[in-house]
Amino acid sequence: MTKLGWMFMLFSWTAIMALAVFCFTKVFKKKNVD
Amino acid sequence: MAVAGSAVGLGNFLRFPVQAAKGGGGAFMIPYFTALLLVGIPLMWIEWSIGRYGGGFEHSSAPGVFNSLWQKNRFIKYFGVIGIFGPLVIMIYYTYIESWTLAYSFFSLTQKYSGILDQASMQSFLRGFQGLEKNQYFTSIAPAYIFFIITFVINMAVLNYGIRGGIERFCRIAVPTLFIFGIILLARVFSLGAVDPGKPDWNIVNGLGYLWNPDFSQLLNAKVWLAATGQIFFTLSVGIGVILTYASYLKKGDDVALSGLTAVSVNEIAEVILGASIIIPAAFVFFGPAAIGDIAASGAFNLGFVTMPLAISRMPFSEIFGFLWFALLFLAGVTSSVSLAQPAIAFLEDEFNISRKKSVMMFGAVTFVLCNAAIFFLGKGVVDELDFWGGTFCLVLFAAIEVILFGWIFGINKAWEEVHHGADMRLPRIYKYIIKYVTPIFLLVVLGAWFFQEWLPIIRMDNVSEANRPYVMATRAGLCLIFLALSILVKIAWGKKRKIRKEKI
Repeated sequence: MTKLGWMFMLFSWTAIMALAVFCFTKVFKKKNVD
Repeated sequence: MAVAGSAVGLGNFLRFPVQAAKGGGGAFMIPYFTALLLVGIPLMWIEWSIGRYGGGFEHSSAPGVFNSLWQKNRFIKYFGVIGIFGPLVIMIYYTYIESWTLAYSFFSLTQKYSGILDQASMQSFLRGFQGLEKNQYFTSIAPAYIFFIITFVINMAVLNYGIRGGIERFCRIAVPTLFIFGIILLARVFSLGAVDPGKPDWNIVNGLGYLWNPDFSQLLNAKVWLAATGQIFFTLSVGIGVILTYASYLKKGDDVALSGLTAVSVNEIAEVILGASIIIPAAFVFFGPAAIGDIAASGAFNLGFVTMPLAISRMPFSEIFGFLWFALLFLAGVTSSVSLAQPAIAFLEDEFNISRKKSVMMFGAVTFVLCNAAIFFLGKGVVDELDFWGGTFCLVLFAAIEVILFGWIFGINKAWEEVHHGADMRLPRIYKYIIKYVTPIFLLVVLGAWFFQEWLPIIRMDNVSEANRPYVMATRAGLCLIFLALSILVKIAWGKKRKIRKEKI
């Protein structure tokens, strides 16, 4: 795998995981408040 | 959870890796993420918002929801018919394909295909199972039909218990199980290393490289952008009418902005992290770089039902990993197929006041009959035809209607307020302009490009063999009849309502 390949893969995975963490943190916060 | 289940489907594990590998590897992710940001996420918010809005008027399917958004227009409800027609057409062939995954998980456990060692024989196994040929593996279509009936009954049983008691409860178990299966398979594939000591280059890192090494020349290819946009529609289940139906059951104060984004994040984990890391890298390790191109080009289903069983059969404990792979696909399939049935069932319940059980029975009877066309005429181009009209054309058309209706007819200021009603987070302001201008232009360009480039060859059936043309013609006639029947049902439902209103006055 080339360096760019690694970069694309890791960037995509990080972006998606960051979105998931952001969303689920908010979802659980909201659930706790409710 | 039901929406996440609807979004996580066969497209994540079979379609995405093939599209990405064919579309320039890592470079494919540029059009893919662009389409996600400009079309996928805005459409997700639009469908959640208009669904919840329509639910406030006691409508749970697209004709009623569209009518609530533009009450002065008498014809808009007929455009909403696409939101029942599209998922119904997809359901006709999707349930059958889903039943193959159940059958193959059974064949994995019973080691029915374990002695098969080459692509041609595995292809022959699949064709025998589908009833396309009689061979040493299968002499009739009966096993496929039995697995179809089991799958169909499971779908109807889940639907029978309603959204909260059936679909939501099923997804609460199925979605986490599916992720656990995916992680186990991912761990197994990543620990494969290089299986042939004579070919150290056929290793897992290079397998991932096949998928992720960017080929920037593909970025200038319009087809790659169209493929990426198509994948976003397919994977997020937007433009079908399903999310709109689920959202109609929400309360006015529920947070649609966060719910939409959470469903996107769950789907993307299943697709880009799990889906992309199993099938192509595994096939690469076992078959090498020269064969993998042909394998990927042969299509998603070939990769799933021909290549993957072959790769798994070379692993230790192949029956367990084979079972896990097909059980994963089956769970992903059921969570999506039950959602495809929901718009039509909700239409019968809401607009005709038919009970849930009766609606499911009526829907089940009609779909069961229609599914037989996909089963018995699979080799005649019927499924491809259903997939084009139901799974491709209707999606883009329905999405274009939704976004214009929401951003322009309902009005972008009201629309923006509706999305934020009950929301804790503020959406980036730029999305107000994306929803109003960019998403509709993007969709209209895709529709326009299709119209100018493709409509004549499709109408003339240029790519259909002479022998298959009568079957394709019959499928088109059948689809027209289904659309007409649904439109008549909409007319009858609204006629009844008008009559009741007049009587009250």
